[in-house]
Amino acid sequence: MAAPEGPNLAVEITGINLRNPLLVCSGTFGNGREYCDWLNLEGLGGIITKAVTLLPCNGNPPPRLWEVTAGLLNSIGLENKGVEAFLQEDLAWLNRFDLPVWVNVAGFCDEEYVEVARTVSDSGMADAVELNISCPNVKRGGLQYSSSATEAARLTAMVRDAINLPLYVKLSARTADIKEMAMAVEKAGANGLSLINTFPAMAIDVETGKPRLANVSGGLSGPALHSIAVMAVWEVAEVVDIPIIGMGGVWNWKDAAELMMAGANAVAIGTLNFANPGAVVEIVGELRSFLTRKEFSGVSELVDLTRRGGIT
Amino acid sequence: MEAAFAAAIVEKKAYGCVTSIVLEMSKSFQAESGQFLHILCGIQGERILRRPYSLFDAASGSASLLVKRAGPGSSWLADREEGEEIDCMGPLGRPFSFAASDRCILIAGGAGIAPIAFLSKKMSAQGIRPELFWGIERGGDYDLLPQLLREELHAEIASQDGSTGYQGTVLELLKSQELQGIDAVYACGPRGMLIDLAEMASRDRETIMQFSFEERMACGIGACKGCVVPASEPPGGYLTVCKDGPVFDGKELDWRRLKDRTWQ
Repeated sequence: MAAPEGPNLAVEITGINLRNPLLVCSGTFGNGREYCDWLNLEGLGGIITKAVTLLPCNGNPPPRLWEVTAGLLNSIGLENKGVEAFLQEDLAWLNRFDLPVWVNVAGFCDEEYVEVARTVSDSGMADAVELNISCPNVKRGGLQYSSSATEAARLTAMVRDAINLPLYVKLSARTADIKEMAMAVEKAGANGLSLINTFPAMAIDVETGKPRLANVSGGLSGPALHSIAVMAVWEVAEVVDIPIIGMGGVWNWKDAAELMMAGANAVAIGTLNFANPGAVVEIVGELRSFLTRKEFSGVSELVDLTRRGGIT
Repeated sequence: MEAAFAAAIVEKKAYGCVTSIVLEMSKSFQAESGQFLHILCGIQGERILRRPYSLFDAASGSASLLVKRAGPGSSWLADREEGEEIDCMGPLGRPFSFAASDRCILIAGGAGIAPIAFLSKKMSAQGIRPELFWGIERGGDYDLLPQLLREELHAEIASQDGSTGYQGTVLELLKSQELQGIDAVYACGPRGMLIDLAEMASRDRETIMQFSFEERMACGIGACKGCVVPASEPPGGYLTVCKDGPVFDGKELDWRRLKDRTWQ
């Protein structure tokens, strides 16, 4: 039965206490500052900041965006100001809020990933690191690691050794067997998983015969990706013992609940933030109503519910 | 705290390929020329991004847009009726800036007339009399709008078919005028027009250039880095159209890389 004060939305993953299970995905929320005029950041369960690299990165030439049916292709290419400026200007600013922060770390070789993750960890200003080994928009780094379980595990172990924070690894569904990948990075020391990154995709302008994106291909996000994410979470949750942050085209509270029932311990909202900057806060409220209606005492009861036979 | 808000359509008028829409805003609404509203066009989940629309006019309590049918999103917006509510964010972006002493010319291409017409009104309110040039393809494309802007803003029109005003492009019209002593050039229009104009205007290094750019946009507030244009500094870097722009000083942009873009 639901407690008189309503269902408990708080969750704890890898020792981090979230007031609710809704985070925002890397790359869709800047570093929080851009959105602070649009919603109360302390209404979020947590923030995953935009990918940061060792040195400033210009990113890919435009056009970087193309909208497809129920989806968005992007090829931003990791544009960011580099870890030093990120720590001083953005992470320090974010620390004034009561808000758990995952820092998404990217690189172009082993050493860069390790160096950035260590710098973030040593700053004492982050709660966790999310290792971005599945960005479809850079030629070096990114997908090169997520296409091989051995490579992914090797990098995970190196970064694990360098930091004192929970380490989440963000995986792509563009792999022969995501279960194998997930087990490999868990064994290598990952403390959690982010599932899933955008899926490599492409669009062509038939009037010109040219690609829509200057980078030719990009990553697909939005509702079109959602059921792929549900399947990935479903498969991986069965074979790992570490927490999963489910993400991929969440467009309403049902999509969030679905990822949790598939096995996710928390959920992150991505592309929806662009259409509705207040989406996370709205979804938290709707999720609370659902839990009340179904007489759940806490949101954690949704986790892996489908494997346990659903609502009985 | 800013927020997305619903604004009711209080007036709608079709001018050929564009539809002017007047939205009812809160009394506290204030906007500068060059700023835009970021609008949700249609069923959430199918078309997923908002569309940026430069303000055609704005005053306390109202905002106007000029919507050109270019695809399903803009067609959806143009089909809304008076009384319907539109989901907006804004006003967003960096506006035009001008000084009362400037002798300036305003140049618009096609639907780029929206922010330029608004700028012209803002300038007039400060006692500046800018010269406004508007290029369109065919005289009939915009129905009575050229005539209205001729009367209201003293706009000079160029049409490529010659059916309205000067026959040729707006830049050919501009060259034919042999203008002297121009302090500042303000423009909005197709990318090619802006590139050609920058080449013309930059011959005089003292001329201030401010151009309003368009690019496909996601967040509208500088977070996603999706809507960028090449920057002059740092080399190889970019500026966001939504937050750093949409109005840029000509010197802020890397025109060589802008020219190289052959994709669309």
